[in-house]
Amino acid sequence: MIKFENVTKVYNKTIRAVDDISFTVKGGEIVGFIGPNGSGKTTTMKMLTGIIKADVGKITVNGFNVRKEPLKAKESVGYIADSPDMFLRLKGTEFLDLIGDIYRVPTDKRQQRIKEFAERFELSEALSSPIMSYSHGMRQKIMVIAALMHNPPVWILDEPMVGLDPKSAFELKQMMRDHAKAGNAVFFSTHVLEVAEKLCDRVIIIKKGNILYDGTLEKLENTNKNESLEKIFLELTEK
Amino acid sequence: MSIYLKLVKALISTVEPSAQEKKYKKVFYNVMGFIAIFGIMLPMAFFVGVVIYALTSPLVDMGAGQNAVELFLHLISVFSFVFGLNVIFSVFYFSGDIENLLPLPLKSYQIIGSKFTAALISESIMEFIVIIAALAGYILASGRPFYSWLIAVFGMLTLPIVPLIYCAVLCMLVMLITGFIRNKDTVNKMTGFLTLAVVVGIAILISNMGGFDTEHLIEALSDPNNQLVHVMNLIFPQVHFLVSAMVNNTLLNLLYYIAVNGGAIAVFLLIAEAIYFKTAVGMNHVSAKNKSKDKIIASLRQHHPCVTYLKKEFRLLFRTPAYFTNCILINLIWPVFLYIVYLLNGKTNFLDDFVYGIHTGNEETVLLLILGISAVSVLVTAANCIASSALTREGKHFAFVKYIPLSYIAQINVKALVSIIISGLGMVIYVIAAAIYLDLGMKMTVFCCLISLLSVSFVSYFGIFMDSVNPKLIWDDELNALRGNYNVFFNMAVAILLEGVTCAGAYLLFKFTALGSLMIIMMLFIFLLLLNTVSYLLCSFKATENIDRLSV
Repeated sequence: MIKFENVTKVYNKTIRAVDDISFTVKGGEIVGFIGPNGSGKTTTMKMLTGIIKADVGKITVNGFNVRKEPLKAKESVGYIADSPDMFLRLKGTEFLDLIGDIYRVPTDKRQQRIKEFAERFELSEALSSPIMSYSHGMRQKIMVIAALMHNPPVWILDEPMVGLDPKSAFELKQMMRDHAKAGNAVFFSTHVLEVAEKLCDRVIIIKKGNILYDGTLEKLENTNKNESLEKIFLELTEK
Repeated sequence: MSIYLKLVKALISTVEPSAQEKKYKKVFYNVMGFIAIFGIMLPMAFFVGVVIYALTSPLVDMGAGQNAVELFLHLISVFSFVFGLNVIFSVFYFSGDIENLLPLPLKSYQIIGSKFTAALISESIMEFIVIIAALAGYILASGRPFYSWLIAVFGMLTLPIVPLIYCAVLCMLVMLITGFIRNKDTVNKMTGFLTLAVVVGIAILISNMGGFDTEHLIEALSDPNNQLVHVMNLIFPQVHFLVSAMVNNTLLNLLYYIAVNGGAIAVFLLIAEAIYFKTAVGMNHVSAKNKSKDKIIASLRQHHPCVTYLKKEFRLLFRTPAYFTNCILINLIWPVFLYIVYLLNGKTNFLDDFVYGIHTGNEETVLLLILGISAVSVLVTAANCIASSALTREGKHFAFVKYIPLSYIAQINVKALVSIIISGLGMVIYVIAAAIYLDLGMKMTVFCCLISLLSVSFVSYFGIFMDSVNPKLIWDDELNALRGNYNVFFNMAVAILLEGVTCAGAYLLFKFTALGSLMIIMMLFIFLLLLNTVSYLLCSFKATENIDRLSV
């Protein structure tokens, strides 16, 4: 579902934010993207969503080349950006309606999904208020609902748990599992190793634009016996 | 009493900038304060005093000496009412302190009274200076005795009470009946429109009284049956009693004046005790509207993405005060200002000649009209910067433009359409008003509107192209997105230059060739079509490429 082939991104002709990386995320998989700050996680996700252009390499989402068929690739993606402070002067329903129309979600499915998600995230009461009046967590919740409303085959989530209360984080994790079980791909970045440990089928560890590890956590722990995931991660990324 | 005074002091600080803000912006505040006092307030007060003096002197001989100052104080009361709405809403409803005050051992009239006094002081400082200047002009012109000055000072401090009580009662009733005003933005917009309406109303009144022609004004003011003064005396009776106390030397009028104010305060306190706390408590909570959540969700319908995107653009422009003031209001104010200038100046020879030229079908005048419409359309569209800040306004969330499955050109078209609708609407109102006045006829009116819309359209697309070259995506508040944005300035400069060359070229062709005005107007029409095509192509190819290239 997601395919990166020898992708490179260089900023200002000197900073290699992403350096010749290749990986795939198949349908039915939940893949965690882990790395320290400035490692290239957000750049990779932005290239995947079409926000940034890759300098070299090929990116395919749901079978569509991000450069050649950008609109079809974008339609296949549900993306949660790293900051939820967007369109603060719109009301919750107005924002969701905008996203619903942009992704062409039919009226009946739109109503049903908004109702279901809003109830799961306990946001129903706030939908008619401006997003400006929401707390950080509520803003994150509405971004999650907006990203998932059109039921895209590929979920790309940049730090999706930040700001969520325990119940909402639990709900989102459950939704990620259900989505993957239905044959879709979930690719998300996180700093919280416990989340990756409990949720991911596979992790990709990135540092300074290079992939250090791509495989299951089980395999990673087996090769470094008697060490916690945290210690393994620190050893890998501090080399 | 001391509790009341301490409350007033504390509440005033919620209206004025905080000490922290003052500390950081000390120099700025000092400079602005100096400019405000010596550059605006004192010269204005002096001007008011001179005008009242000049009008009162001849009126005294006609036995109607108090009319000028009375009418002026009525006008001040009207302005006090309009500007007071904002302050009353701030102090009574948006200061966020009511839930902190209620648990304190305070009597309700102490809270209401101190809030009202804080609003009165905050709102009336500038007004005090203008009132005393007007009364001084009157006293000097009519040769009133010394004690008149004491009444004047008393009047200066108390005259704004009644208009502000009207404001406060109106605000409370509005909140009681509707409850729709949940934020300050709505109040700012409402008072903005009200101010505009009052300014136009006053301009019409002055125009009906003979404009700024002193003779006509004095004639109107000396009329004992002046309906305007009678009506205003019914609305603001305290003004008449105050001025009468100075004119007739009677204590009775002063007592009437005090009684009117005292009665108004008593009525206000009674109404406020019954309404205020009901309407103010819970103001700062996010609450679901009466409509149930199911109904809200059931009301959502699928529309074409561009329609919803267009709605989003409109909502953000109208709901963001900085955008509303700088991008929207300017289009509405523009014809109004023109109208005010026209009303206040009366018919000038230029305008008479122009109207005569249009009616007699003078080719040069018709050409100038068309060129003028095109030039003004370009200027207004460039000045409102709806198009030239269209991408910049996305700010830190420019990524949204890039990751949604809506083509860049579709998004550009919607953004251009927003500019065309808003700028075009303002211009069409202006063109139709001018057409009615000039009696242009239907065909010519439609053609003028078309020229205007073509001019608006090319500047809109061109503005978006200019903004795409280097949008300013990092800004702290929305005003910075407009004011600190060089694209707005560059777009305006290029548009004015282009339009200037076009208009000058068209006029020179008319003057120095055998081409008639009709031929030149058709050439202008074709040239505007060409400019539209070029600017659209620039957006289709270059602006989309620029957006794609941007790393955010």
